[in-house]
Amino acid sequence: MSLTDRIDPRPPKKIYRWDLDKTYLQTEFDTLRQLVRTAMQKAHEKKAVPGAAALIRELRASGDSRLCIVSGSPTQMRAVLAEKLKLDGVEFDELVLKDNLKNLVRGRFKALRGQVGYKLPVLLRSRALAPADAEEVLFGDDAEADAFIYSLYADMVARRVSEPVVHQVLQAAEVYEDDITQVMKVWESIPQADPVRRIFINLDRLTTPASFAHYGPRLVPIFNYFQAALVLMADGHLTAPQVLKVMVDMVQSAGHNLFTLSNSLQDLIRRGLPIAQVAQGLSEALQGPQAMLQAVRPVPDIIAAFTKRAASLGAPVTSALVKDIDYLSMLDHARPRTHKKRRIE
Amino acid sequence: MSEQQQQRPVTIAFDVMGGDHGPLEVVKGAAQLTLDTPNVHGLLVGDRALIDQALSQVKHSAERLSVHHAPDFVSMHEKPAAALDARPRCSVLVAAELIRDGEADAMVSAGNTGAGVLACARAFKLIPGVRRAALATVYPTAVSRGEKNDPFSLILDVGATVDASADDLVAFAVMGAAYARIISKNPDPSVALLSNGTEATKGPARVVEANQKLSVIKGLRFIGNVEGVDIPKGTADVVVCDGFVGNVCLKMLEGVSETVIELARYAYKEKLLWRAGLAMLSSGIERIKEVTDWEQYGGAPILGFDKLFIKAHGRSKARAITNAGKVAAKAVKSDLVKVIQDALPR
Repeated sequence: MSLTDRIDPRPPKKIYRWDLDKTYLQTEFDTLRQLVRTAMQKAHEKKAVPGAAALIRELRASGDSRLCIVSGSPTQMRAVLAEKLKLDGVEFDELVLKDNLKNLVRGRFKALRGQVGYKLPVLLRSRALAPADAEEVLFGDDAEADAFIYSLYADMVARRVSEPVVHQVLQAAEVYEDDITQVMKVWESIPQADPVRRIFINLDRLTTPASFAHYGPRLVPIFNYFQAALVLMADGHLTAPQVLKVMVDMVQSAGHNLFTLSNSLQDLIRRGLPIAQVAQGLSEALQGPQAMLQAVRPVPDIIAAFTKRAASLGAPVTSALVKDIDYLSMLDHARPRTHKKRRIE
Repeated sequence: MSEQQQQRPVTIAFDVMGGDHGPLEVVKGAAQLTLDTPNVHGLLVGDRALIDQALSQVKHSAERLSVHHAPDFVSMHEKPAAALDARPRCSVLVAAELIRDGEADAMVSAGNTGAGVLACARAFKLIPGVRRAALATVYPTAVSRGEKNDPFSLILDVGATVDASADDLVAFAVMGAAYARIISKNPDPSVALLSNGTEATKGPARVVEANQKLSVIKGLRFIGNVEGVDIPKGTADVVVCDGFVGNVCLKMLEGVSETVIELARYAYKEKLLWRAGLAMLSSGIERIKEVTDWEQYGGAPILGFDKLFIKAHGRSKARAITNAGKVAAKAVKSDLVKVIQDALPR
């Protein structure tokens, strides 16, 4: 970020919203032991998902964006999490954590597990303060209800979903009545816009991408952040040299190689994402000022492998028609992961 | 070894279109292989639309799976040569060609055996010193062997080379022993020639000559000739014969197993007392089934080429395919081809 942007920040044109656990951080909390270990970890012991920090740094490089983090981690972890982000060179504008102690004191036990009643109001309140024309890209994971919450948030801001439907969804998600009232009030105050361009879901649990098909093409399940970088390049959020930097970071710091990366690219093409031109763009980028990246040994091989992988698929397939999301048919997705009615896995 | 070679995963090409259960079971098996063994990648060869459809139902890691579209396939009952000539872009031939071109290291197919062997013959080269390839199979025996207490012995050839010479039988013995050493973790497998008597002079001229040659090969525990009865007894860990004898033998052993099962069914229906007896034996029968479960082996190798082909059973479901992939990966990691080459008499 330039010095002028630091002194007098421009209004953000782009907002990147990130979840932390299992989206930015490699966190395990399926068992009590893992939960305790996660809570006790120091900042330098926490591990980011490969490529996540590099991707955020590249997205933030233009200086006209905001990074808003909303996480279900407890507020007591703020210092450790902020330090971890600092260690990774990630500058954030908002870091909202869950005040579960308050929920406990107030006897709001459903809110302890619930994600919808926590994240949706946070997203809406943040949106209410953002410029109406600011575009958004959201990052979550497949462990909880991020796909559902982010999609609902996007469609609420765009007024593609009606008030009664939202009400029913919030009730199914066991959100307390006073919180529902708050959500409705904040929603009303937000000017109608269609800001959410993409929703990326990190497949930490390896949920099949097809499981998210009913959320439409706006939502892209990803196996790694190289895939997100490719889609963001196609969407105009990143340039080819920036994608190459994310790629090099993943090769050097997380052991990715031309096989994992070219397979990742091919996976996106198979799923019908419009990235056919991206491989060509990356190849051309290696000839320009980024030519020095050719010295990073696997990079030219990786680019060559992209073309080969894309060609091995034969003729492209036609994409499915875009339909409105039927939230009422997916109410179980709004429930906590441990809820018996949750069927997304 | 270069940095790129060091990080290179083993890639197994799966002929997705082969087998009785269709693409879904093969894709499931391949996907599970890549989840179980992170340094093994799967290359799915077949109709892209069918593969995509199968992948949409299967938990997988896209980082470790890739797809190569092949529009045609050879069905189980087609004549191999005619089918490959008519459809050069059939999945089994495309998979073999991808291995030849270095895109993958070994192939697994549950499809038409003849087409698989012929595809290998067209795409791969024979190991120097090997004149004919051999199709091996495993057979459950009364004894277990090696580190894994493996109850299976290896029989080769069971159909690839119908008319084998003495030198071919010697090569089969060396290849079979190398395979048993690596896959069954049997450091010193016993090797025998299948004949009509245990004496060295028994059998056709080529078997007698092979016996003489095998007796003087160093590093090979050749125990002489065995008879058909010794196969289920497990007298030898590796049983060598030509493809004609091997195939007749294998089919007969399969027939015997099926007949025994039929007789058991008959007994079950015939008398209450017999039924009770079978019920009492059921846990023991289950245990035998577990020990001799062919799915745990996944498939049988075609030996003799410079690349490996594991032929999975036509009835293979996902578990067998996964295990066939594991066997293939293990053979590649252990450099089976080089081990065979080094062991062949010069």
